[in-house]
Amino acid sequence: MAGYIVRRLIQLVLVLFLITMLLFVMMKIAPGDPARLLAGVKATPEVIAVLQHNLGLDQPWPIQYIRFVSGIFNGKLRSMAFGVPIYEILLKRLPASVELGTFSLLLAIIIALPAGIVSAVWRDSVLDYSVTALSLGGISIPVFWLALMLMILFSVTLRWLPVSGRGATIGAWSFLTIDGIRHMIIPVISLAAVQTAMNARLTRSSMLEVLGEDYITTARAKGLRERTIIISHAFRNALLPVVTNLGLQAGTLIAGAVLTETTTAWPGIGRLMYEAITRRDETLVFGLTLFIAIFYLLACLAVDILYAYIDPRITYD
Amino acid sequence: MTDKTTKLLAIILTVIIPGSGHIALGRRKAGLFFMIAFFLHGAILYLAYVREELVWMAKLGKGDLFSTVAIFSILALIWLGSLVSLRKEILSMREEQQARPQSYWLMVERSFSRNKKGLVGGAILIVVLYFALFAPFFAPHSALKMNLIDTLVGPNQQHLLGTDNFGRDVLSRIIYGARIALGVGVAATLFNMVLGGVLGLLGGYFGGLVDVIVMRFLEAVNSIPFIVLAILVISVFGAGALNLVLVLGVFGLQPARIIRSKVLSIRKETYIEASRAVGANDLRIIFQHILPNSMAPLLVVTTMMIGTNIITVAGLSFLGFGIKPPTASWGGMLQQAQDYMRVSWWMAVFPGIAIFLTVFGFNILGDALRDALDPKLR
Repeated sequence: MAGYIVRRLIQLVLVLFLITMLLFVMMKIAPGDPARLLAGVKATPEVIAVLQHNLGLDQPWPIQYIRFVSGIFNGKLRSMAFGVPIYEILLKRLPASVELGTFSLLLAIIIALPAGIVSAVWRDSVLDYSVTALSLGGISIPVFWLALMLMILFSVTLRWLPVSGRGATIGAWSFLTIDGIRHMIIPVISLAAVQTAMNARLTRSSMLEVLGEDYITTARAKGLRERTIIISHAFRNALLPVVTNLGLQAGTLIAGAVLTETTTAWPGIGRLMYEAITRRDETLVFGLTLFIAIFYLLACLAVDILYAYIDPRITYD
Repeated sequence: MTDKTTKLLAIILTVIIPGSGHIALGRRKAGLFFMIAFFLHGAILYLAYVREELVWMAKLGKGDLFSTVAIFSILALIWLGSLVSLRKEILSMREEQQARPQSYWLMVERSFSRNKKGLVGGAILIVVLYFALFAPFFAPHSALKMNLIDTLVGPNQQHLLGTDNFGRDVLSRIIYGARIALGVGVAATLFNMVLGGVLGLLGGYFGGLVDVIVMRFLEAVNSIPFIVLAILVISVFGAGALNLVLVLGVFGLQPARIIRSKVLSIRKETYIEASRAVGANDLRIIFQHILPNSMAPLLVVTTMMIGTNIITVAGLSFLGFGIKPPTASWGGMLQQAQDYMRVSWWMAVFPGIAIFLTVFGFNILGDALRDALDPKLR
């Protein structure tokens, strides 16, 4: 197991190296100059030149690349637009994203797993058809449109919920205050909708597959209660692909909610990423993307390790 | 009337009105199908003629070449199709009906045509496709012409779905937007199906260096959320339909993974071993055995992928990294709508419904295909 983890970590470093190269080259060949953009339209060439020097943009590419990468490690890399170290911005914005991602994932799990099980157990019933139709509909909704619709209905027309933003927080967390929770409802529901639909489908098909196995027939033949068969025989084994998917989603949920966060003005990592790209804040884009990638790759690794615990048949050597 | 004259009559009838020949021969169902198709397209042609949107019949400089060519080609296809099908019917009347062989694809076809999901999905997509093909014929107003007097007017008789902040008809923009959605969505998906298919096939079959490089590249690409990656790449190469197709095509390489895993499992089958023992070379094995057998999952993934790509294109346009205004695109319309959320709900509601229905169509079609293609479920 330890050997496996070490091997995976070495691979992870390789992939990360590939990402830094890709990212850096992409940003450097992009047209336009970050300094010019930062300085504004009225800036004189001298001002731009000074800014370029201050940002290190006048150095050769390899030096800049090394500065970027080493800056990530020693925490000295500063955002070009904000002038503060990347990790400070990241830490400030992270709680909002973690909060949004966690609650939507929880909501998705709470609805999707039972829905998928029910739909598989009573296959071809009205219940199954409605779950299937709803989940097919769920994966067809663009998240940003759902957020927009909820905002128009609940915030603009009915005035029950605030339109956007994050509201009051205690520490860095808004789920601790009533106002914060009210602000969270729309983004969480929008983000959870697609996840719920996807996981419900996955749970259903995975359950169906397991319910067709011989050992389920055996369990029935032994006269076990149907509930015991479904919960402890079928569901436990059907969980494997669902856990994989949840693990992979956790990564993208925390960092990839760009559309939800920009639509609802939720100040998380996703929106930060969007702002950084539109401002051509090269260092911030670099740092953020790397952070997102590390997070995702570690989530993948965690899922693979978790496998061994859920399914004793799987061993790594 | 002798048999021969009936047949001759059927052929003449078909040349005049497709489908009528089938009915004369007693093939009611096929005949009605061709007739209805013929008259519907005739109606579209008439509509185009009345609205002066046909290139060769309208005044100079008017009309839409694409739609004109499309409507005449489809009409020609219906004619040709009905004649070919009539010939088949006549030939089959001569011989005794033989038991048809039960091939895998025939079974798929039968199981698919019995599936309601597939029919609904197909119907939705045909409507969207026709909007895209014949947008100038159907759209009640121009998609681009501004009218600064009638801005932000709610749905009424003249503008069924209201107007936007430039006084442009929302319905017309939605109809034109179908072109972008289907065009970019389908082109991008074909692109990554072909690219992903080839890479997955090569990697899965030969393994080695290609496999390692492709898999590492995929891993690197997959570890960044797709929307973030797309924004990054587009901020480098610029927005626009062609770039969207390229970005979605090159970076959305999920098909590669699916094909690869399928190829890996097929490669170990005994029939591959057998054909190699008989002396088949790699090329023959790939095209004769591996490709047909990995077609099923690829087809399902592709269908659903089109839906995903349409949502992604809309999302990118919504963020300002996709189709640039004033071109009518559903995502771009939603971006505009966001600013007028408090005053004109119709700007936000209808383009979203268009996206939802189209993607839903692809998804249920894909789901029905999966049901039909998976022998285990039959």
